[in-house]
Amino acid sequence: MKKIIALLIILGFASSSCEPDDICDPNTPTTPRMLIQFFDISNPSLRKNVTNLKVIGEGGQAEGVVFNPSGVDEAKYLTSTDSILLPLNTDADIVKYKFILNSGNKNPLLVNTDNLEFKYTRESIYVSRACGFKTIFNLDPTNPFTLSDATPADEMWIQYVIVAKNNITSENETIIKIFF
Amino acid sequence: MKQLLKYSFSICFLLSLLFVQAQEKTTTTTSTEQDLKITETKNTPPTKKNPEKKLGAAATDTIKPKTDRYGLIVGADINKIARSIYDSNYNGIAFTADYRLTKKYYLYGEIGSEEVTVEDPLLSTTTKGSYLKVGFDYNAYNNWLDMENLITLGVRYGFSTFSEQLNNYLIYNPHPYFGQSGLIDSGKKYDGLTASWAEVAAGVNVKVFNNIYVGFSLQLKVLVTKSEPTNFESLYIPGFNRTYDGNFGAGFNYTVSYFIPIYKKKVIPVKTAPKKK
Repeated sequence: MKKIIALLIILGFASSSCEPDDICDPNTPTTPRMLIQFFDISNPSLRKNVTNLKVIGEGGQAEGVVFNPSGVDEAKYLTSTDSILLPLNTDADIVKYKFILNSGNKNPLLVNTDNLEFKYTRESIYVSRACGFKTIFNLDPTNPFTLSDATPADEMWIQYVIVAKNNITSENETIIKIFF
Repeated sequence: MKQLLKYSFSICFLLSLLFVQAQEKTTTTTSTEQDLKITETKNTPPTKKNPEKKLGAAATDTIKPKTDRYGLIVGADINKIARSIYDSNYNGIAFTADYRLTKKYYLYGEIGSEEVTVEDPLLSTTTKGSYLKVGFDYNAYNNWLDMENLITLGVRYGFSTFSEQLNNYLIYNPHPYFGQSGLIDSGKKYDGLTASWAEVAAGVNVKVFNNIYVGFSLQLKVLVTKSEPTNFESLYIPGFNRTYDGNFGAGFNYTVSYFIPIYKKKVIPVKTAPKKK
């Protein structure tokens, strides 16, 4: 009987004084970014690396999208790979991005800026108690993107853009293919 | 503040255990009284025929045949009522009933209603509904003499019907390049939700005076059925309490009860056999 009482006390204290902490596991798939892959225009089945690409979103952090979190200073915002993940705005149905190729190059003639604008609709999807909701995006079926040159005009480096998939639900699926 | 109140309930546990102790002490005194009674009756003048035998019979007779009272212990969950007062996000009430079936077994029932606003870091919901629990309690406590305390181990099955309203939520965005979006008001209501669960309970119910009982019980629960709202989840189920990733849950009752005696049953002592000759 004493044992039962002891057990009850322990259970009582355990249940009355500890509150589980709910922290969203960073590995949980939540709001996805948009996966963009770069291809060679002269050989469209081949992936091609960009050189020192910097992407700046209108209304976002002025320094640009962080591609390389371990980089220092400017290197953080530059990428020279064949794919990038771009965040979309969870508060608006449009994002305007500047794609700056050869950013920071000493020869200003090589620095080339193109504007790419994406239109989409948003949907809130429940994830869990700890993670709350996530936003998934659906690119506008009729007018998903607008490609334009920068002002003042420099020649466009992006030759062609294809929408591979309209609904952005995960970061593993290629959404946009850019040929240059 | 909340923490403090939680600890206060822990203290209540301890206090309720003190009741147990106190009860045990008083019973020892009553037993001495009983002894006195016995000795008194022994002093009654022996009758002619067989004084020796008569004395023995008288002695057994005066140990009053123990009667167990059978009836219904009806209680209210004080914890829920108290929380309704101090917690502005909570409104609830529950009544419990233990009907004594046999010496050791009780039929258990609980009915309650709760309205809870749960504020998680990323979402706030309000759950409103009522529940019913039925099951059995086994009294593991050996009562001395006229004690009527209970240390119960029980199994129950619970049902709940409720509605859940999503008040507001935040979007979890690990890459807030454009900044984190603000709180989104929803107000969406999910009606007609149901859930059922099995639970095991351990508790103490102590008769403090007359027919008044004070008790507490702890329950461990496992969800059996649960209807999921589309694109959401039942975060709180009345009677079951907060839901976790697994199907397990826990609960706690602090009750004040009243025993309604219905009938009495004599506990026939084992030594009555030689009485008949």
